[in-house]
Amino acid sequence: MFSTTGPYSVVARSMLNGAMLAFRENAEAAGPVVLEPVVVNPSGDLGRYRALSLELLGAGIRQVVGCYTSSSRKEVIPCFEKFDGLLWYPSHYEGFESSDNVIYTGASPNQHVLPLVDYLASRVGDRAFCVGSNYIWAWENNRIFREALTARGGSVIAERYLSVGDTEFDQVISAILDQRPDFVFNNLIGTSAYAFFRAFRAACKVRGIDQANDIPVASCTLSEPELAEIGGGAIDGHLSSSVYFSSLNSPPNAAFIEAYAKAFPDGPVSSADAEASYIAVKLLAASLEQAGTDDARPVRAAVANQRLLAPQGEVRIDPQTYHAWLTPRIGRSAANGQFEVLLEARSPVAPDPYLVQSSPRFAVTMRSPVLRVVQS
Amino acid sequence: MTSRLLQNFKDGRALVITARGGRETTLETTLAKLGVSCEYPEIVGGRAQIDIGSLQAERDILFVDGDLEGAVAIDVNPVSRLPPVPVIGLVGVEAPSRLKALVDFGATSFLRKPVHGGAVYTSLFMGINQFLLRNNVYARLQDLEGRRRGRRAVIRAVIFLMKQDGLDEEGAYSQLRRASMRARQNLELYCEGFLSRRVDSPDIPGRANSITLRGGTKQAM
Repeated sequence: MFSTTGPYSVVARSMLNGAMLAFRENAEAAGPVVLEPVVVNPSGDLGRYRALSLELLGAGIRQVVGCYTSSSRKEVIPCFEKFDGLLWYPSHYEGFESSDNVIYTGASPNQHVLPLVDYLASRVGDRAFCVGSNYIWAWENNRIFREALTARGGSVIAERYLSVGDTEFDQVISAILDQRPDFVFNNLIGTSAYAFFRAFRAACKVRGIDQANDIPVASCTLSEPELAEIGGGAIDGHLSSSVYFSSLNSPPNAAFIEAYAKAFPDGPVSSADAEASYIAVKLLAASLEQAGTDDARPVRAAVANQRLLAPQGEVRIDPQTYHAWLTPRIGRSAANGQFEVLLEARSPVAPDPYLVQSSPRFAVTMRSPVLRVVQS
Repeated sequence: MTSRLLQNFKDGRALVITARGGRETTLETTLAKLGVSCEYPEIVGGRAQIDIGSLQAERDILFVDGDLEGAVAIDVNPVSRLPPVPVIGLVGVEAPSRLKALVDFGATSFLRKPVHGGAVYTSLFMGINQFLLRNNVYARLQDLEGRRRGRRAVIRAVIFLMKQDGLDEEGAYSQLRRASMRARQNLELYCEGFLSRRVDSPDIPGRANSITLRGGTKQAM
């Protein structure tokens, strides 16, 4: 269930490709489990997500791989809980959720936004300007980012939100250039993000600013197919925190990239979310084989025992939270549409969706200074 | 005085007072994801075996089943109506009498039975933070009550200085305020001390006009 049309269709098409590649490999392997994918497209329409989920579950389909945005996931979870289906959610997200009817194969906040804060605060600067699409992903990811940066002595100058699909950035870019932050933290998605990258680079160029070096844009979402959408002249120099980049130099990734390119020559190219979708179907097949049924509960129990040598490295599902152990990385985009990996964790990191191990007991508060100097 | 928002419940302990019926798994597994361990005090003779006095507000959270009448005796603060630790009500029968009992325990949040995993984080977040907020408000209220009572001492100290030094009301007040800041005390507390020192001093009656803080030889206060 991927929105292969609509404002974030580029990433969603790469996710569908990732899932379909795993289905093909499963069929070629001719194992005991035969998977027959049924593909539906909600077109980015929240209402369609719910209707299609009910339709699939009503037709007896109990295992669904899909959703990209958190708003769509939250829209369909009640359906999966009501009919006891399993949603395999293959995308990074903002955490603070753990439904018994969802397997989360994308990155948790401790695997994407917290490593990015560490990197930015230690190597780029401590004054951030946040932009995002106006829904829960950006609200919550910005909150986590703000608290983590503030705890390190940094500050968020401003937060600006635009509707999903909005591409009018003149005011936001003027505000950024007025404030001159050390970097921009971007939580825009889809066409909004691509338009922002282009317009921001162009506005900086007009003012003689080397955007990539002077005001870099850092994201937890930016992936290879999106670089292609941003287009020439504005692709390079963007920071991205992700558990997967297609430039990873490893035999499993080389095999994945080759198979993906062969299967989908028309693109879009693979992405972190495509890899997460590929992982989801691989784990689904293995869990179905072990469970011997497609009932949600036995499959859910079986997934906790699975380990997978994925394109990004070893992946397994945490039996307490049903989120994935993944390997955080920081990359910087290059003009060739790939990411140069700047940093990576030595081994897979446990998911911490509620930031129980990764956040202070009390929320970091940002208050006005206690002492105010007033000129009279 | 500001109330801080608790957002990480790691190392918390939930004491769940309910009749064990095998349907507590969802609550326990969801709390475990949030870093909170679960204990079920035994219920003997209709009363939960729990030492309320040993509970720690920084660690413990009571989940009280509203359907168990009289299973737990909590001494709420008669003024603040707050229990010693956060209480979250488990609501089965949605009847006013059962809900009133939970309100009387000082419950600051509720969870419907059977517990749905997706509701636990919200309930815990609201329950603990409302408890902290209400404690904070109560402490602030106590502080303001104390200061209200102390205003009489401020008025008396102002009049005393006006008579003694011939100051006007504003001058006397400013002098006391500056002195209280130097002493790092609130004004009310400082004025109480100021007056008691004057009352205790054998020289006061005869020296009423000799105390001055402006010019000349300043006396310690």
